[in-house]
Amino acid sequence: MKRGVQAALLAVHVPDELEAQRRTWAVVRGAYAEREPVPRGSRGLRLVVALAVVAALVAAALSPPGRSVRGWIQDRVAGQEDAEPALVRLPAGGRLLVVSEQGPWIVRPDGSKRLLGGYDDASFSPNGLYVLVTDERRVLALEPDGDPRWSLSRPSPVAEARWAPSPGFRVAYREGNTLRVVVGDGTGDRLLAENVASVAPAWLPVEGRTALAYADTNGRIHVVEADTGQRLWSASPGAAPEQLVWSSDGARLLVLTPGSRHPLYRAGGRPAGTLETPPGLDVLDVAFAPGTRDVAYAAFDPEAGRSVVVLEAERLQEVEGRLDDVVFSPDGRWLVTGWPEADQLLFLRLPGVSRIVAVSDVRREFDPGARGATEFPRIAAWCCPAAQ
Amino acid sequence: MAGAVRDERAWVRGAQAGSASDFEALFRAHWPRAYRAAYLVVHDAAGAEDVAQEAFLAAVRALDRFDAGRPFGPWLHRIVVNRAIDWARARALRREVGAGEAIEDVPAVERGDPSAPLPEDVVGALASLSPDHRAVIVLRYVLEYTPGEIARMLELPRGTVNSRLRRGLDALQGVLGPAEER
Repeated sequence: MKRGVQAALLAVHVPDELEAQRRTWAVVRGAYAEREPVPRGSRGLRLVVALAVVAALVAAALSPPGRSVRGWIQDRVAGQEDAEPALVRLPAGGRLLVVSEQGPWIVRPDGSKRLLGGYDDASFSPNGLYVLVTDERRVLALEPDGDPRWSLSRPSPVAEARWAPSPGFRVAYREGNTLRVVVGDGTGDRLLAENVASVAPAWLPVEGRTALAYADTNGRIHVVEADTGQRLWSASPGAAPEQLVWSSDGARLLVLTPGSRHPLYRAGGRPAGTLETPPGLDVLDVAFAPGTRDVAYAAFDPEAGRSVVVLEAERLQEVEGRLDDVVFSPDGRWLVTGWPEADQLLFLRLPGVSRIVAVSDVRREFDPGARGATEFPRIAAWCCPAAQ
Repeated sequence: MAGAVRDERAWVRGAQAGSASDFEALFRAHWPRAYRAAYLVVHDAAGAEDVAQEAFLAAVRALDRFDAGRPFGPWLHRIVVNRAIDWARARALRREVGAGEAIEDVPAVERGDPSAPLPEDVVGALASLSPDHRAVIVLRYVLEYTPGEIARMLELPRGTVNSRLRRGLDALQGVLGPAEER
């Protein structure tokens, strides 16, 4: 039987093999020529390399897999120079969670990646051992290879499931305008709060604690003890919250609002100042640098059509188009942001952006085989120091 | 066999040193099996070309870091099969949400090709499995890795590999069993 299987599979007619080989060789040969060392100042060699890159891109665009991406190439901005042609490794280890139109992907340190399935949203468990996803009316905990560990079905659409900090015995998620909590093994599902706004809940990131911040439909924020339902404190930030973010030590809660003043609160609920962003700019994402109370944000100027990433008062990167995400590496030494107009991911080495690693062709990486334009993927998380 | 291994190591070292002819020899030696493996997982010629092409591009990018003392094939095949699984999963999802696209529309098999050495049932039986199961079958019977090696390549428990092999063989048995008895 086994010999029969082998013989049968080796005898299967594989269509278009020689033509595919010819086309692929044209692309790969160009890429190989590109990798040859280029002496500094040698304009002639640089020209040869540039021509090789162009030849490789043309060959790729003419090959069947390349045809699907030609449309959006024509619309994009130039992007960062010297970009890597693909995501071949993460600059700081850990695992990246990226959500594309196809669903969430896990990217490993060597750049290999795995599509977990056709889910809408994703977040890591505290140590990156599982991924929480939502799928219409289901919440699922997945193994890193996409196999479901448990799932929970609800009558109404669910969203934004988040795992409590280590040891990870609780999961919170929204169902419609309610907030629910379930034990980390998928059992014991129960209602925690009603009249909840469409904002992801945020667990206080302190080991062993089960305090949860959420926003209600009146624009107030609440921090509650998830096991008892006891309200620890509430506050009114003055504008409808869009994002709730704790510093990694749990000492500050930042409430992102639509305006230019974003309140900060201490763990006990007392005000701790505000984050002020330039008026007129839309803040698209915000994060605390790990181990610090420094805030980074990406903001888009709709009039100028430009974006900036700022860490504290320092402008880290400014580009034409949007910068969608602000996600720190687990060790805080890198910040990654998505640049849809250039179809690039930008990894910024901190402090001071001493280095930029740009990765091109991101849509195609996370939507293989797509035909036509696709959404630029969202960087959901970068986890965890131990997950190598 | 030992000679082939020596050749391959020499090609890798030559390619690392900038020899285009050595790199071409490496490419031509590995293309047929890489493309076949990709095709048997994704069941789409353009998709298989996409997957194999990306794997070789990844090889180019990592060439300088590659240890020439290690075999090149397993490293390449790991990329091919993992990308093929992702490609097949992505297409399956697209088909789920696509209006009216039936599986028959996908050119999975060269249907009606009288020169095909085997009936389409073999590929059809393989197509009845999930991409993950097809990948394990292809790694075992086309690329000839052991279950332990497959487990390491796909980062799966050994028991999972064995169960996927069993299920795959069960699916293929209906097609190949009678032929084997002859």
